[in-house]
Amino acid sequence: MTTTRRLWPKLRVASCFGYLSVQLALLLHAQISPDFVFGFQMFNASSELKIALFRKVRTSRKHGLVPVKDGTWQAKSVDGSLHTQRWNARVHDGVLGTLDRYVHASYGLKAQLFRLQFALDDVAHHLPGDAETQALVAVVDTRNNGHQDRQVRLTGVKP
Amino acid sequence: MTRFFNEARDAYLLGPLRLALSTLLLWNTSRGIVELARGGYFGDFFHIPIVPEAWLPSATGYAVILAVQIVTGVMAFLGVWPRPALLTASTLGLFVLTLDRLQYHNNRYALLLLALLLGFTPCDRSWSIARRPHTLPRGERVASTLARRLFQAQVSLIYLSSACGKLVDADWRSGQVLFVRFASTGEFWAARGVSLPSSLLQLLSSAFFASGAAKLAIASELFLAVGMWLPRVRRFALYLGVVFHFTIEISARVELFSWLMVASYLAFVVPEVRERRFVFDAGSRLARALARVLALLDWCARFEIVPNDRAARTFAVTNRGGRTEYGLRGAALVAEAVPALFPFWLPLYVVSRTRKRERRSLAR
Repeated sequence: MTTTRRLWPKLRVASCFGYLSVQLALLLHAQISPDFVFGFQMFNASSELKIALFRKVRTSRKHGLVPVKDGTWQAKSVDGSLHTQRWNARVHDGVLGTLDRYVHASYGLKAQLFRLQFALDDVAHHLPGDAETQALVAVVDTRNNGHQDRQVRLTGVKP
Repeated sequence: MTRFFNEARDAYLLGPLRLALSTLLLWNTSRGIVELARGGYFGDFFHIPIVPEAWLPSATGYAVILAVQIVTGVMAFLGVWPRPALLTASTLGLFVLTLDRLQYHNNRYALLLLALLLGFTPCDRSWSIARRPHTLPRGERVASTLARRLFQAQVSLIYLSSACGKLVDADWRSGQVLFVRFASTGEFWAARGVSLPSSLLQLLSSAFFASGAAKLAIASELFLAVGMWLPRVRRFALYLGVVFHFTIEISARVELFSWLMVASYLAFVVPEVRERRFVFDAGSRLARALARVLALLDWCARFEIVPNDRAARTFAVTNRGGRTEYGLRGAALVAEAVPALFPFWLPLYVVSRTRKRERRSLAR
């Protein structure tokens, strides 16, 4: 009992340092994470991006990429019935959900492009009534902190 | 080191800190409820979980988590089992934060971490609205300061990490990030029908100004991380912090971050209470009014407010060091210790010092 009482303050300090060590490890991990998760990057970069969405389709007449206007498209299902698909039906995020318009890339371009790849994969996996679309392609115009514009292309393939 | 962490200090100030953080927790949870009501359960749409997908609760489960967070937030605010309530609310909040990267924001993470750490402090010994007496006697308030030290360390880590993040980013370091942001300020206000003076717009579009502002922001954060631990510079650090966060609040959207950090400064205030004296002329209506206002705003219980029937002056303020001041310099001593008046401290301090110098030079 006496030993425990004597050790208690030291144990408390040790747990304190344990907590701080975990915090430091998370902070270091945040630096290599694309969206700084568990870091404390409180102020956004001044980058912007514009997402233009395209569909890679599978029909005899159409080849290549078909632009998606206003995030909505119509496609036939296996039984030939026409279905309307919407990008925003699954993507509710303010940045990734905005198409064909420059928006502020909160947490930086790297973070938003990282998330956009997930969004493309997710939407491509959730097109139940669309037998035509093979893949979704996002052509992203980026403005990185006022530097020269750069275009990035990301693809989400339908399984 | 062990003594530094295990010393026993008055826990009075942890009460108002609990009130502030539980209010922010409630605000944060309310946002989640509004989003759930408006947009539906995020788990039914595109999301990027940090934890395995299988850990995601159902829509009902998520609603229950939010409800528990609200109840525990209210309990923490009222002082009903506030420590378990804070621990529950913050743990659930941290869990929710790991369910979707899209909803992850550093300021929310910081709030939940600080609320979690506050749950380990003796923050239940004062400002308990649901209990009588609301505040325990001093003898029962004195407790280990270990968790408070950890809370302070977390605050410093936030500033340090934020500063280091900017230091390693060439665009931040050079001022390019701020230059782009400042350059769009005119457009931002013009869209809201406010036209800024041309001299200000010229300044905001200057690369030199942006570069200076970036370096100042980084230096400020580094100073805040360290300065709040040093008694000699603490009040300047806290003042700089208030100005820094006010500037951020009006120039950027950082959700609760500014409020959180300013509230967390309470953890750096000297824990002992009523070490200053405000003696006022009981016969003066003005002095009585000032005493009433001070009693209302003295949330940190810095002052012993004493009426004096034979006072020669309207009021006299004695600080912790035993220095007594009157008039403007006395007002500066009051502003130094009262959170709501703290922004006025530096102007009052500078004006009173200038006047003192002028009087001295006139006397010569």
